[in-house]
Amino acid sequence: MSAVREIEYRDALREAMSEEMRRDKRVFLLGEEVAEYNGAYKISRGMLEEFGARRVIDTPISESGFAGLAIGAAMMGLKPVVEFMSWSFSLVAADPILNNAPKMLYMSGGQFGCPVVFRGNDGAGGQLGSTHSWCVEGLFSNVPGIKIAIPSNPYDAKGLLKTAIRGSDPVFFLESERMLGNKGEVPEEEYLIPFGQAKVIRSGTDCTLASWGRPVHFCMEAAEEMQKLGISCEVIDLRTVRPLDIGTVVRSVKKTGACVVVDQSWSFGSPGSEVASQVHRHCFDDLDNYVHRVHSADVPTPYATNLEQEYLPNARKIAEAVRSATYNL
Amino acid sequence: MPINVTMPRLSDTMEQGTVVKWHVKVGDKVASGQVIADIETDKATMEQAVFDEGIIAKLVCPEGKQVKVGEVIAVLAEDGESVTDAVSASAVAPAPRGAASASAAPAPAASGASGTAPAAERTIVADVHATDITDERTRVSPLARRMASEMGVELSQIKGSGPSGRVVKRDVLLAAENRSAAVPATRTAQGSAQELVAAMPSMASAASPSVGALVHGAQSIEVPVSNMRGIIAKRLVESKQQIPHYQVTMKFSMDAVLALRGSLNEQLASMEVKLSVNDFIVRACALAMAKNPFFNASWAGDRILLHQQVNVGVAIALPEEKGGGLVVGVVKDANLKSLRQISGEIRSLGEKARTKGLSMDEMSGATFTISNLGMFGVDNFTAIINPPNSAILACGAALEQPVVRNHQLVVGWEMAATLSLDHRVIDGAMASKYLQSLKQFVEGPTMLLV
Repeated sequence: MSAVREIEYRDALREAMSEEMRRDKRVFLLGEEVAEYNGAYKISRGMLEEFGARRVIDTPISESGFAGLAIGAAMMGLKPVVEFMSWSFSLVAADPILNNAPKMLYMSGGQFGCPVVFRGNDGAGGQLGSTHSWCVEGLFSNVPGIKIAIPSNPYDAKGLLKTAIRGSDPVFFLESERMLGNKGEVPEEEYLIPFGQAKVIRSGTDCTLASWGRPVHFCMEAAEEMQKLGISCEVIDLRTVRPLDIGTVVRSVKKTGACVVVDQSWSFGSPGSEVASQVHRHCFDDLDNYVHRVHSADVPTPYATNLEQEYLPNARKIAEAVRSATYNL
Repeated sequence: MPINVTMPRLSDTMEQGTVVKWHVKVGDKVASGQVIADIETDKATMEQAVFDEGIIAKLVCPEGKQVKVGEVIAVLAEDGESVTDAVSASAVAPAPRGAASASAAPAPAASGASGTAPAAERTIVADVHATDITDERTRVSPLARRMASEMGVELSQIKGSGPSGRVVKRDVLLAAENRSAAVPATRTAQGSAQELVAAMPSMASAASPSVGALVHGAQSIEVPVSNMRGIIAKRLVESKQQIPHYQVTMKFSMDAVLALRGSLNEQLASMEVKLSVNDFIVRACALAMAKNPFFNASWAGDRILLHQQVNVGVAIALPEEKGGGLVVGVVKDANLKSLRQISGEIRSLGEKARTKGLSMDEMSGATFTISNLGMFGVDNFTAIINPPNSAILACGAALEQPVVRNHQLVVGWEMAATLSLDHRVIDGAMASKYLQSLKQFVEGPTMLLV
């Protein structure tokens, strides 16, 4: 019997962590304000009470220190979940998270795995300025050895986070401050979502929209607008960019002949450019136009509200790209 | 006064050329002797230098476009002359630099001088820009190209609706729709073999874009023809159609030449000299030509030219990754050169042809040609004469075979060589005599050493 209920994205994250902590004693959560304050964004609300201070740990403001601690713990057999208040703050921990965690299994000749999940808010949260608005997938997806999930909704967030915690590899789990309050249907029953499986969330015949994370919602808005013009868009939520389910995109583009990739990181050397490149390779004879891309503008994130809005991908920009890709400008 | 740079004639047979790459842009100052472009001729890609100093005022010929020899490809502004003036003057007077341009150009000169310079400049800029983007190839999206091929729609007949006239999916669909509406039966009906055969000559001669439909029911992929492939096709059709070819074959015992080659190579190994069988044949042909002057001759319509220099051309196949095709490298005065010289020249010609490409000088002036497929294990074949030569020798492989020597059946090395001859110059008896000379040199190869 499936009980359907609507919960917030932040609750989906907490359910995933709590369920896994009940299931497996090795799992623990650490980060700034995760315990006594119930989480800077109230994701870990009530977890200290349930699991105690040994498994829900407040850390000092020292990302490099607690990220390294988590990696050591993972190497010795525990399964830490590290909350970065923002992925922007992970940059000071670049050495442990990029230089140690993803390479540990390889460099130790298979002696040490590194089953650690790093999670936190990614992307512009709304007037946080240039240094606190990072979309780290542009940088981090370049590194082999890590998995990157960027769920766009509560259902995917819960299913993917449970898979991340149960896995044996380092996972970067990219959430968004702007989506934590989004509600979505999440069943009571337990479920897991495997990595590397994209989901077609709207079918269409004229243009494929491929995205992940927050911009998926803008794609859906744009698809709705395009429908009014008689342009039928197929929207694909990649859900994870490493591994990348290019097959689902390719199957769609072979049908539509046009493709727009929407990625809120910067365009140069990004997951978006990788998706476009692979589509060009696999769909060369199926494309009626080059793969169009919508990214954040190639500048530091502006602080001013109007500029920040203009900087980010949005439904208007996506609609324009669709019209161009389908020769309807 | 502007200086027109024209498409040069870079070889005897060159009728048109392609600017493959411009090394300069409008506004660049160039010095005499400076290379401004790479030009692809029928035989090779060569660097084109300018002979005057000046500033590049206009690049008339876009990259990739084929133009006739003598056509203006660029305009130079002379020292002290403005680029705009040079372009407008040359536009009015496209004739080669001469007196005409001064008298024919008063109007633009006057308007240029009367304070309307900005407007003039604007038009020039637009003009140059338009020239830059002139590109006559059809732009087609990959999907449209695939669909057109699957649906048998002629791309060149479609006007593209995409950017820069790109043919896109909807254009192909529209064309297919129009076609089925306009041509109900004839195109779709299964054509008889006779109809197809009847249609072929015209298609071939007009280089029809619907060649793809030549083989009934078969899918074909169109491969664009390179300049070289085009010229091979043109020249060999001319040769085969105009020259009354006939062939004479003779077998040569190769025992002596192989033995001599082995012994020489052993002694020359320390000097990194390695003679090939072909080197001996080139030398033998050259000496035989000196003895048989009509083999060193050209048919000239109402007379025969006997050449005073013995230049042996050697066909060199180019690697497929370089686009394939073949060129003829020339060993000049081959009768006056030692085996070792000939060997060294052929080796360096081959290497250069396969890597950088031969210069026009290295490909010109052959009076006789040798095509050797021996290294591919070919027994015997016939070749098409390379005009304006009167003969070409096609050499097969030296093969170990049962042969009769002194009434005994023994094993020996034999090679068959076939001469293709221009009957206007050489009759059968003369051909036989030449082959006998050749046989003397090949079977008594010590004569090749002196």
